[in-house]
Amino acid sequence: MNYSELTRRYFESSANVGELSRPGVFRGAAGKREEGTWVQFDLQCESGTLRAARFLAFACPHTIAVSAWLAEQSIGKAVTRALPESVQSLRDRFDVPVEKMGRLLIIEDAWLAAAVAAIDYRG
Amino acid sequence: MKTAAQMNAAGMPVYLDHASSTPVDSRVAASMAEVLSSETEFGNPASVSHDYGGVAHALVEQARCQVATAVGADPAEVVWTSGATEANNLAIFGIAQYYRERGRHIVTSRTEHKAVLDPCRELERRGWQVTYLVPDREGLLDPDQVAAALRRDTVLVSIMHVNNEIGVVQNIGALGAICARHGTWLHVDAAQSLGKCPVDFASLGVDLMSLSGHKVYGPKGAGALLVAQRKDGPRGARLQLAPLQFGGGQERGLRAGTLATHQVVGMGVAFELASSISSTETVRIARLQQRLWAGLASIGGVLRNGSVSHSVPHLLNVSIEGVEGESLLAAVRPYLAVSTGSACNSALAEPSYVLRALGRSERLSESSLRFGLGRTTTERDIDTAVAVLSREVGRLREIAGTQSGKVPAAVSGA
Repeated sequence: MNYSELTRRYFESSANVGELSRPGVFRGAAGKREEGTWVQFDLQCESGTLRAARFLAFACPHTIAVSAWLAEQSIGKAVTRALPESVQSLRDRFDVPVEKMGRLLIIEDAWLAAAVAAIDYRG
Repeated sequence: MKTAAQMNAAGMPVYLDHASSTPVDSRVAASMAEVLSSETEFGNPASVSHDYGGVAHALVEQARCQVATAVGADPAEVVWTSGATEANNLAIFGIAQYYRERGRHIVTSRTEHKAVLDPCRELERRGWQVTYLVPDREGLLDPDQVAAALRRDTVLVSIMHVNNEIGVVQNIGALGAICARHGTWLHVDAAQSLGKCPVDFASLGVDLMSLSGHKVYGPKGAGALLVAQRKDGPRGARLQLAPLQFGGGQERGLRAGTLATHQVVGMGVAFELASSISSTETVRIARLQQRLWAGLASIGGVLRNGSVSHSVPHLLNVSIEGVEGESLLAAVRPYLAVSTGSACNSALAEPSYVLRALGRSERLSESSLRFGLGRTTTERDIDTAVAVLSREVGRLREIAGTQSGKVPAAVSGA
């Protein structure tokens, strides 16, 4: 399979990989490793703003790249009950094949699980 | 960023996919170029009524002798084809069609090449019955399995010699004896065999054998089906095949169409060269394979697929725990030309059916790599492969959260 330059760059860079373990960190995960795709986000929030993000992904290059991009690009933005960029927009940005739309939805589920936990905690 | 050590002179990744195809030997290329550029060798080899056709015919027959000699067959048993896929199709459909009144049952294995499995599936759609034998966890078939699967209406057993994914060598001699006793024809896909292990068509008791040119440093688009000519075959009769194509009667009516003289000549030279490979080269390849396996095993969580004792040294297939298959291939692709355990026919890869048949889990079947070693492979290539795999597997495991000791049981699997 051929990947876009952006996909390859974020797949190979591996920035923001890992976990956060400090106060104000909220974790969300979705998918299953045994089914081929699993994504986890750790989001550190302060006053409704994302201060740090880390991710783990047992997944294809598209899923890793999109997860890495989200973890990088969302810093400093408000945490909401939605992805910082829509699934369709992410698909276009990374040239994700239509057959892999389900994997973007796993990313969305993982992200929202962490974001909603942060929002609900904030009240 | 690739370093010089991770590329060859052409700036390409290290080539470790010789089981898929091999570079054309310069002596083969020279022989083909001679035919293509000659003013006397361009004739139609079937036009023996004049000297131009006669010259081409002589070249074709010389190549037929070279191929036959290399695999212990009689030149009259060689039927030229476009490759092993066509040879497999001719063998399977040819037998099924010709002996359709005798029986409509075929025995094969779940780990055969698609060029055997797909014709069998097509025959099932047309009303034939096919028994798909399951090998053991090392990829080996017990000859007794084959014997037990034979029925009164079995007309063909089709089992490959050297498996193209895991390099396992089946006991063809034993199968030949079983099929002869039962009165069933035996077809063997030997596309991966020559130059890797001994091939002797006459002594194996095989009735049909498929051969490929480009697996042995010859040209693509050239292959052959060996059709046994002995009169004491199963049920005391000479083997007959129904042709798949018509229009000229070439190759004793079994494969119509003007022969591509240059392709045939190239295959002949390639087979002659392959049959003269020294034991020194085989030892060299075996040492390289041992070096590769030792390096990969040191990474940890790397499982070897297929029998170690009954396999050719040119192939090494491994499954790697804790990494996703598509990411594994994407990570190594800039540095190494290897095959994956997935069939990437679409955006969503399917796990290798061969490894699944050996009992590997879906995840481990996807995260497998096949290394094909060949004449051009060096120690430096092997060391590059080990270094790249060690680095990239470590990186992907870190991303996946499956670092050593943290591999989830469900992922490590069978």
